[in-house]
Amino acid sequence: MAVATEDFGPTISLDGGRKARGNLTQNRIRWMVLALVLGFGLVGGRLVQLGMVVPDSTIEGQARDVITATRPPILDRNGLEMAVDIRVPSLYAEPRRIIDVEEAVRELRTVLPELDEAWLRTRLSGDKGFVWVQRELSPAIQEKVMRLGIPGIDFITESKRFYPGMTEASHILGSTNIDNQGIAGIERHMDGEDVALLQELGLARGNALAPVELSVDMRVQHVMHEQLVDALTRYRAVAAAGVMVDVHTGEVIALASLPDFDPNEPASALVKDSFNRITAGIFEPGSIFKTVTMAGALDSGMVSITDQFDARFGVRFGRFTIDDFHGKHRILTLPEVYKYSSNIGTIRVMQAMGKDNYRAFLTRMGFDQRVPFELPEMRLPSVPKEFSEVGAATAAFGHGLSVSPLHMVTAYAAFVNGGNYIAPTLYRRDQAEAELLYRRVLQPQTSAYIRYLMRLNAIDSGGSGTRMNKQALGFRVGGKTGTAEKVVNGGYSSSVVTNFFGSAFPMDNPRYAMIIMVDEPEAENAQSGTTAGWNAGEVTGRIIQRVAPMLGIAPDFSEVLDQNLVPQALR
Amino acid sequence: MIRNLNILLIFTSVLMLSGVYALKFAIENTASERTALIAQIDSQEGQLSLLKADEAVLSQPGHIEPIVRRHELALAIAPVKQEQFGAFADLPMRPAKPNSSAMDSLFESLESGIDPIDAILELEGIE
Repeated sequence: MAVATEDFGPTISLDGGRKARGNLTQNRIRWMVLALVLGFGLVGGRLVQLGMVVPDSTIEGQARDVITATRPPILDRNGLEMAVDIRVPSLYAEPRRIIDVEEAVRELRTVLPELDEAWLRTRLSGDKGFVWVQRELSPAIQEKVMRLGIPGIDFITESKRFYPGMTEASHILGSTNIDNQGIAGIERHMDGEDVALLQELGLARGNALAPVELSVDMRVQHVMHEQLVDALTRYRAVAAAGVMVDVHTGEVIALASLPDFDPNEPASALVKDSFNRITAGIFEPGSIFKTVTMAGALDSGMVSITDQFDARFGVRFGRFTIDDFHGKHRILTLPEVYKYSSNIGTIRVMQAMGKDNYRAFLTRMGFDQRVPFELPEMRLPSVPKEFSEVGAATAAFGHGLSVSPLHMVTAYAAFVNGGNYIAPTLYRRDQAEAELLYRRVLQPQTSAYIRYLMRLNAIDSGGSGTRMNKQALGFRVGGKTGTAEKVVNGGYSSSVVTNFFGSAFPMDNPRYAMIIMVDEPEAENAQSGTTAGWNAGEVTGRIIQRVAPMLGIAPDFSEVLDQNLVPQALR
Repeated sequence: MIRNLNILLIFTSVLMLSGVYALKFAIENTASERTALIAQIDSQEGQLSLLKADEAVLSQPGHIEPIVRRHELALAIAPVKQEQFGAFADLPMRPAKPNSSAMDSLFESLESGIDPIDAILELEGIE
């Protein structure tokens, strides 16, 4: 059998049909597995890819939440809303989803014709994900735009600040910009405090923010604002301002400055002259500063309430002679110096105290620095570091130094409340909290003297506050006028004046202090004058006449209340 | 045995499949309802904020005063004056009790036909 021994050819394997099918099936299964792995791999890969995408939810660089975030409502001390958030629709576009830009521009302009065509076209073209078209629209316009049915155009609800009191408390509230951030007034202060922080942390969503309660009483604020508006026209003044504080707690009850602005239109806040004259205006206070001189001198113990001062002749400093406006030119008692607002007498009072002691007293009363207060609109007072003889003399009657009306009202509050300096605040503060912040600047007896002097000036014939008292009879108001001559062309002018009236009421148990300022008033009629008693004084009287009952002060005409104010030494 | 189990499993999976399918649609439904509700709440909150703002405007003293001034004449009202304030302490004490014995004697004399007023009238010369 030597048949097939040479040269073995490749082995021919003959698979059976079953085996061949089996192999084929195995192959198919392999392919199938590969296909499945690839398929799932694809899906998995896509999932990972999708997971990596960071969705762009920002609106022109800001988180969407920040835009719709709300601010807390601001309430007055009685719970009346002074500022609320309203929800308004804002129109935006997603240019990458707009199909026909020309059509979108044409149709949008049928509803919003004030939009510039070219601007809108560039705005809507491109590949951006979000652009504002017009913010803070009315619901009616929203309805119309929605009816157009343009793809890629939609609305987002924004919070907008609204001030129901309109102009009345403008300088207290300030205003907010279109992104609902405070730009002035207490709104800005609140942002500095905590609202911005809350918004950053994402807590200021919805309407859950606790309202902010201010110390302001909107009724009093309204009356003060109304009377100041009236003063502007009545005395043809260029400006008027007023502030009232609670003398025990330092709470500001009302604060107004005219000309003002409408916080609902923040642009109007930028108008010249509408700055807050109470906090950001510094003025030569004029004779209302004599109260400070009296308080300092009486408190130093170097002057007593029974002292007399020679006001027969003007006080000479080199070439200058300082004289009295309504000079009596005789020897005056201390209450008379105050009542007749004698410059000469006040200089003598200051000199008896000593100019360095006087300067130190001004520092003690906080006249060197800003009043600690919430509003961001503040200005440094301008008081010379050291007084020369003549500088101290003019400072004694409120010239040659500039302070804000807020300084004055804080000082007056301390003078009548028993001698405790308390920084004013716009937030609620109760007596106990305030007492922790008290800084004693006067002895209680000095405070009693000042109360007597201020009331005397209002009730005694010849006192400069009698005009005020006529308006506010029964409310036991005491006060001091101040007519500060303005510098015109390098010299003091007697016709261009800034008038002040510093007051407190009711004098038997003082609760409120107020400063009213009328800038460059003219005489109301031919019979009246331009000094402070005629304008600032009368405005004070009219305000108190209306607000005292609101503040729970009943009129009392009994003379014994005034007699009780007279110090023992003068009875 | 294994066949029965398979049949059971197939039925269960079909059942679960339909269940899941139904659940998916139910959830989609709920989600759209929720979206609609959120939108509704949102718009109502918007309206509420406007109403609150309206209310705040209407209750501002600065809004009320001009209205009061306008109707001052018709309603005969005016700002309160100091003299109009009173206190409980200012109220007079209760008047003295009527003198009952004097009244009795007056009635008695009237009954008996004597009118004390006649004497006064006669004195004054009035008939």
